[in-house]
Amino acid sequence: MIQLEQVSKTFRGSRQPAVDRITLRVKQGDICVLVGPSGCGKTTLLRMINRLVEPDDGMITVDGRSIAQMDPPTLRRTIGYVIQQVGLLPHRTIAQNIALVPELLKWPREKTARRVAALLEMMDLDPGEVGHKYPHQLSGGQAQRVGVARALAADPPIMLMDEPFAAVDPIVRVRLQDQLLRLQQTMQKTICFVTHDINEAIKLGDHLVVLKAGRMVQSGTPLDILTQPENDFVLRLLGDDRGVKILDQTRAETLMDPFADAAAQAAANGHRVQAIDPVKIALERMMLMNTDEITVCEGARPVGLLRWNAIKAHVHRISGGAS
Amino acid sequence: MNFDTTLFLQALLHRAPGHIAEHLQLVLIPLTLAVLIAMPAGILLTRPAYRRQAERVMSVFNAGQTIPPLAVIALFFPFMGLGYGPAVLALTIYALLPIARNTVAAIASVPEEVKEAARGMGMTPGEIFFRVELPLSIPTIMTGIKTAAVLTVSTAVLAALVGGKGMGAIIFAGIHFFRFELVLAGTLYIGIMAISLERGLALLERKLTPPHLKSARRRGTI
Ligand SMILES: Nc1ncnc2c1ncn2[C@@H]1O[C@H](COP(=O)(O)OP(=O)(O)OP(=O)(O)O)[C@@H](O)[C@H]1O
Ligand SMILES: [Mg+2]
Repeated sequence: MIQLEQVSKTFRGSRQPAVDRITLRVKQGDICVLVGPSGCGKTTLLRMINRLVEPDDGMITVDGRSIAQMDPPTLRRTIGYVIQQVGLLPHRTIAQNIALVPELLKWPREKTARRVAALLEMMDLDPGEVGHKYPHQLSGGQAQRVGVARALAADPPIMLMDEPFAAVDPIVRVRLQDQLLRLQQTMQKTICFVTHDINEAIKLGDHLVVLKAGRMVQSGTPLDILTQPENDFVLRLLGDDRGVKILDQTRAETLMDPFADAAAQAAANGHRVQAIDPVKIALERMMLMNTDEITVCEGARPVGLLRWNAIKAHVHRISGGAS
Repeated sequence: MNFDTTLFLQALLHRAPGHIAEHLQLVLIPLTLAVLIAMPAGILLTRPAYRRQAERVMSVFNAGQTIPPLAVIALFFPFMGLGYGPAVLALTIYALLPIARNTVAAIASVPEEVKEAARGMGMTPGEIFFRVELPLSIPTIMTGIKTAAVLTVSTAVLAALVGGKGMGAIIFAGIHFFRFELVLAGTLYIGIMAISLERGLALLERKLTPPHLKSARRRGTI
């Protein structure tokens, strides 16, 4: 668990604090996404967690221990860091770049080599093809994926990821996002993830932190923030399709009318979604089938009926009836 | 003035070769001393604790470069007299600047995000220096050493004027007696020594240069 308590940082020579009294808790196994416009202090906040930046004020603890007491290099070897500018070492091959932290930790050579190959595979890079290349021979997107692999190499319990997918194309980006979520189910790492793509934030975050000029504007689950934006700034950040985003974050079961009795259950029509599917998926299916209602199931058992009117009303209610 | 081929050949084959070893000594000793002083100094000037002094110290090195070598010898004459010692001192001072300047420039030009990444992965300052900054700086530092080497080969000729021997003995004898043949023979050897030393250092540079820069260069020439 990472905990920040009233953490502030003002860089020398600037009057505005880059990070201003931030209090934040990232639970073990959670992905916390820091989101906000350029220059709002996301990178600075992240870099305070591995002591690349020292806060002027406040307290940061990892698993209850104050990081100010730890030796920075030792601390950093337990925290995977994906740096925004990638920063691969130009004189080392890709394999050697990924092997950096295992090498610092003096892993046996064999183990490191196996780990490097596995990570390259995981990042959709061919170990035989890419492993012996040098960073300048890679595309921006490939280099960024190597940056992620390098951060994961020693299997650190904590990951700091600074816009790790910014340079990859949309298709690969979606694949890497899905993969991160899939891996996270087994890895259960504590992740701080920076992005200024609100869609990425909503998709990946268990917890979102919206920053503006160093201040925390709002924090909560993606659904909390979508349904109760704190102010106009957050509303604008969420974009024009907030209603659709909400439907993507809302489970079908929350808007359905549960079947009152077995008779109603038996009368259920043929079009189905799962209770935990997003309403957006249900909506998509309804449009494809040209129907106004769809049966919601838990496994094979129908449990309720989701109606177009209920969806419409929900979005209308949540967006405060705004035009 | 007509060219006396016999004298020229005699100078080239018999008189000059005896001075090669002397001259090389006058080059290699100051060059080694200069490397041993200027490289650590340059490295120190890029460390955070001393970075603010960099400007000032570099201007001292710059000043060393602007003093003519003979003036250095004159300056130290009261303490050291004439001969081999003062010549080595003057040549060492003269060779400092290119090496120090290139060392500072090389290390300063290692990209910030590369150093940041190394730091972020948990490398200690020592590991960052030896495994990242130094390997990436080798080519530029070697360029400085090559420049200093060529410079010293030609400047070392002046050592003969203060009794420091070297190839200058032949060249100045030639000037003194209006024997152009001697000057030409001596100069020829100076040229050969400068080129050989430069080539030798270039070979060393190739050995030390990190591989990604080699492949980039090779690609660049195709
Ligand atoms: N090393 C530094 N020295 C001085 N000012 C800095 C430094 N690093 C960041 N800043 C300033 O602090 C503020 C926050 O910067 P930061 O890099 O944290 O923003 P960010 O949210 O990561 O932006 P982006 O999305 O563009 O990466 C900016 O105003 C920036 O100019
Ligand atoms: Mg940033």
